[in-house]
Amino acid sequence: MLGNGAMAIGLLEAGCQIMTSYPGTPSSEILPEVVRFSKMGKLNTSIEWSINEKVAFDNAFAGAISGKRAACCMKMVGLNVAADSFMSAAYIGNIGGLVIISCDDPGPHSSQTEQDSRLMARLAKVPVLDPGSPEEAREMIKFAFELSEEFQVPVLVRPAIRVCHARQNIKYKTLKNNPTKADFKKEPTRWASTPKFRFLQHKALNEKHVKISEKFNTLKAFNRHTLKKGKTYPFGVITGGVPSSVVKDLFEEYNRKDIPMLKLGAPYPFPEKLADAFLTACDKVLVIEETDTLIEYMLRDKYKTLGRFSGHVPMEGELVPEKIETVLNKALADCKQSPLSDFDGGREAFGLVGELGLPLRKPTLCPGCPHRASFYSIRKAMPKAVFPSDIGCYTLGSNLGVVDTVLDMGAGITMASGFYNAYIQDGVQKPIVATLGDSTFFHSGITGLINAVYNDSRFILVILDNGITAMTGMQPAITQGLRVDGRKGNSVSLEGVVQGCGVKYLKVVDPFDTKTMIKTIKKAADYVNDPEGGIAVIISRHPCVIGFKDAAIPEKISVRVSDECNDCGFCRDRFECPALCRNPETEKTEIDTVLCAECGVCLQVCPRKAIEEI
Amino acid sequence: MKTINYVLSGLGGQGILFMTKVFAATALEKGYNVLGAETHGMAQRGGSVVSHLRVGDARSSLVRAGAADFLISMDESEAYRYLPYLKKGGTLFANAPSKSFPDKRVAAYLKQNNIKAFSMEASKKAMDLGSPKSTNLAMVAFYSAFGVGPLNADDLRSTVEKMSPAKVRETNLKIFDACYDTGKKIASAS
Repeated sequence: MLGNGAMAIGLLEAGCQIMTSYPGTPSSEILPEVVRFSKMGKLNTSIEWSINEKVAFDNAFAGAISGKRAACCMKMVGLNVAADSFMSAAYIGNIGGLVIISCDDPGPHSSQTEQDSRLMARLAKVPVLDPGSPEEAREMIKFAFELSEEFQVPVLVRPAIRVCHARQNIKYKTLKNNPTKADFKKEPTRWASTPKFRFLQHKALNEKHVKISEKFNTLKAFNRHTLKKGKTYPFGVITGGVPSSVVKDLFEEYNRKDIPMLKLGAPYPFPEKLADAFLTACDKVLVIEETDTLIEYMLRDKYKTLGRFSGHVPMEGELVPEKIETVLNKALADCKQSPLSDFDGGREAFGLVGELGLPLRKPTLCPGCPHRASFYSIRKAMPKAVFPSDIGCYTLGSNLGVVDTVLDMGAGITMASGFYNAYIQDGVQKPIVATLGDSTFFHSGITGLINAVYNDSRFILVILDNGITAMTGMQPAITQGLRVDGRKGNSVSLEGVVQGCGVKYLKVVDPFDTKTMIKTIKKAADYVNDPEGGIAVIISRHPCVIGFKDAAIPEKISVRVSDECNDCGFCRDRFECPALCRNPETEKTEIDTVLCAECGVCLQVCPRKAIEEI
Repeated sequence: MKTINYVLSGLGGQGILFMTKVFAATALEKGYNVLGAETHGMAQRGGSVVSHLRVGDARSSLVRAGAADFLISMDESEAYRYLPYLKKGGTLFANAPSKSFPDKRVAAYLKQNNIKAFSMEASKKAMDLGSPKSTNLAMVAFYSAFGVGPLNADDLRSTVEKMSPAKVRETNLKIFDACYDTGKKIASAS
């Protein structure tokens, strides 16, 4: 099963009763896996997709201070959204175990940053565990609940993408319900503490830290070294998380029992004594950790320590195995030790691949995706506009030239008002068309829209409503009223919320009808420019082609390209469907029938009408 | 057992994840431990997709460059892109026309590193047999015909049978058998 499944097992084995999350790669599969295993074990786990990570955190926190075991999971940038709650909860503490799983994405593969959640734990003064494999993640989650209850402090588990999306066989026992009942005991000085009490809580948290650090010194399950008693070494390695598994594999493969290793699976609060003992036994120590420098900072010895600050370990990017092998070879050679191998990082082979001029493959919207049709119409209607956009599949609208900015969740709207303000100060009313998806709108768009209405900003907002959270793996949308475990929820009307934000101009269109959509956008622009006007919102509604195949394309339309095609490239450039490809021999566009979803929208695109229905 | 490393590559939408699951499930059925690394999310939308699978007792999920025993690719360019992962003496299986494969510039590298390379027009075969989306299974079958590595053809075939949805099961097995035969001919000729 996936690492995310192994963690779901760990959560349920630990008796986690409340589980909340907002999807984000690489964390998205944890919650659905909790649903699956909870159903299999006939457990009564309370499980929800929350509207965003802060909401997820607060829900779990309330469960934990009611005495239940609770957890919330998210991707690492989601922890930024929940940071306010996270920092505060560390001071207040909990009763039932509270575990936060924040999944990191070194690379980055599917994220806007490479931030290291261990440093967020350091900032919040929350203990952190850093698994090296799915199996270890599962074990750590169980320990995290015990630790959280023993010290009444939230515990962060930080799996990186190679744990989340690793596939490993996992054996597990029968899962049982946790019988603990909710029992919130009022104590305003703790749960609603004023700054005076916050100072005392901070002091108590610092005292907990000393004790947890002591515990981590002897926590053999996760923090252990391979030193032999009384022996000293010219070179040693301190590592943790995913790189620790790679280092172990490498040492085993090259049979390097002469190099001692300290693995810190529980790196913070820092196990000072354990690290000191290792540092004392070695002349030089190389730190290999992902993605930033938690251990290296905590070692506080720049003379003995090699790592990112000495230039041995890259400051950015994922520490893939070949990189770690190269780093180890270089550090060993610099310390006058024999390297693992003469491996040069595969320079010749990678060089050859570079020379082949292989096609650059960038991610694209799927064939038949309604967002493509929306973006096509937006550019057609407002070619000169600024296009702030957002996080989701539609970030890929950049391929169609209709995404100028992507900052974070909800910034499509807030940056639109920011752009408006920056230009209107100079007396210029800049045309602006913002885009974001339905889930992102609910996650972080609403406050920005209210703010823009209140402050009289002017722009067009197109909400791309495909009825699903697609990019992260088809989680149900709030507008559909279905909950993660299949139970019915109350659907929330997008139109109602938009109008509730104070928006007076709202139209709903189907993007597959590009003519109407173009007309609607142009009319909306008139309203935005009218002194009596305001913000115009267009809901571009069509089901996701992956999530709702039949509803998205109820009638398949087969198309072909006729001899009228003069290779102008307009369709490939402006519509950018992967099924439209150029045949260099005929010098014409062709339809790749394997990729084509038969949506028929491209019939509306060709200026020469050379794309025709069969 | 020594860990056997597979790298599977292709394009988004070709069904790399399903292909990985077929290999992993077969290995588990045989009693091996498996560890693999997959591509999800943004990186999965179109573009170049790769999946790593380690059969044996490895701890880290990624195959190191220069350490893959087998590279199985559903696209010729994506086969070349992941060439650095193959170890000396490894084997490459690609979905490509046998006339022009491998590219001349690559051939010298393959020879020098003692890498064997075999190809079949898997997507064409899958399409001719009625399921263009089953290129992934065509490549599994093609690989299985060479009898290399810890997973054999019968076991892989029965996993495909088990994992295919009922309405495409028959077609998938037809494709599997046809592509196995093609592979067998090439294997015995080499």
